[in-house]
Amino acid sequence: MVRWAMVIDLDKCTGCQACTIACKVENNVPHGSLEEQQKQREIYWNKVIAVTRGKYPHIQTLLIPMPCMHCDQPPCVTVCPVKATYRREDGIVMQDFRKCIGCKYCMVACPYEARSFNNKEQETKPYHRQDLPPDREVRGKWPFPRRTHGVVEKCTFCFHRIDQGLKEGKKIGTEVVPACVEHCPSRARSFGDLDDPKSEVRHLLSSRIWFRLREELNTQSKVYYLGK
Amino acid sequence: MKLIYTPVEFQSRNYYLVLVILALLSVVGFICFVISYTQGHGGFGISNRIPWGMAIIITIYLIGLSAGSLILSSLTYVFGREEYRLISRIAVFLAIILIFGAMVGISLDLGRPEKMWRLFMFFVLNNMRSMFALNGILYGGYFIISFLYLGSIFANHPKWTKKIGILAMIWASLVHMGTGAIFGFIEARSIFYSPIKPFEFMVAAMVSGLALLIIVVIAAFHFAKRRYWKEPFFSLGKLLLGLTITLVVLVGIDKLTHLYSPHRESTLWLLSGPFAWLFWGFQVGWGYFLPILLLSQPRIRKNIKGLMIASSLIIIGIFFERFNLVIPGTAYPMPFYPGKIEGIWGREGTFPITTIELLMGLGIFSMMGLFFILGLKYLELLPLLEGGKESAAQASGDR
Repeated sequence: MVRWAMVIDLDKCTGCQACTIACKVENNVPHGSLEEQQKQREIYWNKVIAVTRGKYPHIQTLLIPMPCMHCDQPPCVTVCPVKATYRREDGIVMQDFRKCIGCKYCMVACPYEARSFNNKEQETKPYHRQDLPPDREVRGKWPFPRRTHGVVEKCTFCFHRIDQGLKEGKKIGTEVVPACVEHCPSRARSFGDLDDPKSEVRHLLSSRIWFRLREELNTQSKVYYLGK
Repeated sequence: MKLIYTPVEFQSRNYYLVLVILALLSVVGFICFVISYTQGHGGFGISNRIPWGMAIIITIYLIGLSAGSLILSSLTYVFGREEYRLISRIAVFLAIILIFGAMVGISLDLGRPEKMWRLFMFFVLNNMRSMFALNGILYGGYFIISFLYLGSIFANHPKWTKKIGILAMIWASLVHMGTGAIFGFIEARSIFYSPIKPFEFMVAAMVSGLALLIIVVIAAFHFAKRRYWKEPFFSLGKLLLGLTITLVVLVGIDKLTHLYSPHRESTLWLLSGPFAWLFWGFQVGWGYFLPILLLSQPRIRKNIKGLMIASSLIIIGIFFERFNLVIPGTAYPMPFYPGKIEGIWGREGTFPITTIELLMGLGIFSMMGLFFILGLKYLELLPLLEGGKESAAQASGDR
């Protein structure tokens, strides 16, 4: 069994937000206006938060990039009434736009605020996916061919890259990685299989001290952070 | 003491005026819904921080009112307290209208209301671990049971009425406890998370349901120019007092336990932050303290006007209780990591009240009002007293 996981080295993260931008470009996430951002209505599949502790001059700032944590025990999957959010075999928590009724219960239940409500119809451009044929005759893989208003969205660990890479026989974690991992200039992020003892993520987790966010909720998230 | 139920013969022009106004407001509400749907909820005050807005507040408020009045109808039909027969038929009818309004409220909140049928595909397409899906069963069953209940009451079948009444009473309690569980089982939001929430919701339902019943029944008698006995209402006032005190105790326990770690920060914020005036002013002061003060005075409790004022205070107070649960409960920023989170991710959410949301809420209430006054005119809901001898002295409809 594979279990995809991400390891983020906070010592290397500079807070440049390249991951946020790369994610928006890769997944065609709309760019919100300043007003939308102020109202906390912009859609982010990946965000970078800054946490400060202490008072000047004894202050410490920690930059924490936060994609969806793809929990092994996801609260969002438990609360979704219509099975629109589900956990794939490989541990990726998915959101099916076709089934989602937009009740927003998952947004209330998610302890990481990884989810955004989309209130805009897709603009003229069709859903930008270079790996898939443009006419979208195949209705199998990606749950909804077009971005649609009235549903909840979230990070998918760029599952389309992984699926395509596996089909082409490429090595996931080195040759094929999610967009945020690929575009991180300081190489703070690594991606790989948690169940593969030879993977880079396993190597990092066994050699460094790591933590996960809000572990007291026992969500078993699969985004690990290496401390400063 | 014999009661004959007859439709109310509203002849005045005012009745039709009210009818038209309510119908117009319902249409305005519907138009606002269409606008909000095409804008993808753009006109609402909701954000990613506060996902649930006015529609959910109104929905859980209405479910509470509905469950409360259905539970109280059992006073007559299950426990055989004849003196409350005056209110029982209206209570059941009101419960049906209110739950219908609540279902409309839920569909207004859904981003994709056309897919609402998916909520009711129990065990097939639904995830039955979700509180929402379980509540779907409860709401669906509630509809059926309350219609059967009203049917057996209209058919004058006491045996069946009692049987269905028992079921309806239990089911109505479950319905609002389930609604409380939607909030109480969310571990991520510390203001929500509490095992006492379902019970708090049930008592709040009975308090608000009873207050609404007192207001609606007295007003209906008044506008229908019919005589009624006052004693039942005075003893209902006593019940209202007891229930309100129970609710205060439950809310107090909830908040007190939350004052300890790990929920301390958010609860302190609720009690002293930007929403504190809503909590202390409207929920505690207006909704609990003033009514208890009024109802504990026998002089006021044994006076129809005083009872009406106390009940209206409670009705409004419980609405703010709902508001104070949904909005501040989600507005408090999540503690992703110990320390101060900078920027928008650490800022508490704001909830602007928008025109579209307000008009939509008004539309739901108008639609229910419309159904109610139509029901009074065409259904046998309001009793006509046949000269009650001993109580004739106290019975009067004009005060």
